[in-house]
Amino acid sequence: MATSAPLVIVLYIVVPIVTIFFFPVSSWALGRWYQNRLHGALLENEKLEGATLQDSNYLSTFSEMNGMSAQSSTLLHVSICVGPSIGQMFFMWVKGLFGGRLHSYDVVLDYGRREVLLRLRRQANDLGCTAIQNVRIETSVVSFAKNNKSRQSSVEFLAFATGILQ
Amino acid sequence: MQPEATISLHMSNVETIPGKSITSSLGLVTGSTVRAKHIGKDIFAGLKNIVGGELKAYTELLNESRNEALQRMMMQAHSMGANGIVNVRFATSNVAAGASELFCYGTAVIIE
Repeated sequence: MATSAPLVIVLYIVVPIVTIFFFPVSSWALGRWYQNRLHGALLENEKLEGATLQDSNYLSTFSEMNGMSAQSSTLLHVSICVGPSIGQMFFMWVKGLFGGRLHSYDVVLDYGRREVLLRLRRQANDLGCTAIQNVRIETSVVSFAKNNKSRQSSVEFLAFATGILQ
Repeated sequence: MQPEATISLHMSNVETIPGKSITSSLGLVTGSTVRAKHIGKDIFAGLKNIVGGELKAYTELLNESRNEALQRMMMQAHSMGANGIVNVRFATSNVAAGASELFCYGTAVIIE
């Protein structure tokens, strides 16, 4: 085997060190970039589709209908799983030692909640509903990680409502 | 366990079924399912965790399991002779590491 010494040093010493030290940083940066992009796209969609989705004004948490007539109704339910990236989790753990605002969670949870409502409205629109009554949003932590050490947890948002068909 | 045929009933999460009138109430119906994740999807979701954001594998898994729980609830209501379910609620709980239970419940009614 004619492997040169510098190559061995690079492969077995430099690469692991670089990976170990820069993985959280790169994951944090990638996650921040990706999630901000998702959030931006969502805001654009809300602006574009908010006007076209006909039920946009009739999303309510009331259970009784205020002066509306209905032919029939249907149950709508949409869920989405979101989670911060591994690097963001690591830095949030560090931040958690001091307390304070966790910006990464702010962004990703806000994204999930808005996205699930947008999807609910899309589903209602596809089914031909003219109003959405009794909207409920539930939040739960789902962690499918088999081992407890790497607890990669994600947050599930479930929105369910009754769609009114007129 | 797969349901034999897809049953469709009138469902709502309000106290009535809008546009219909309830003639009698038959009682509580429930449906639940416990799901664990496919290992291939697990690895893929682990890769997706590098950037975070939406985890589509989990979203799909939870959606299809919730539909199954709804189907079970509908089968129970159907066997009771109901043609509607009102006040449907959903609940999700983490029963064990690597599994979560999706549960839904409502009141079976006869409507016309």
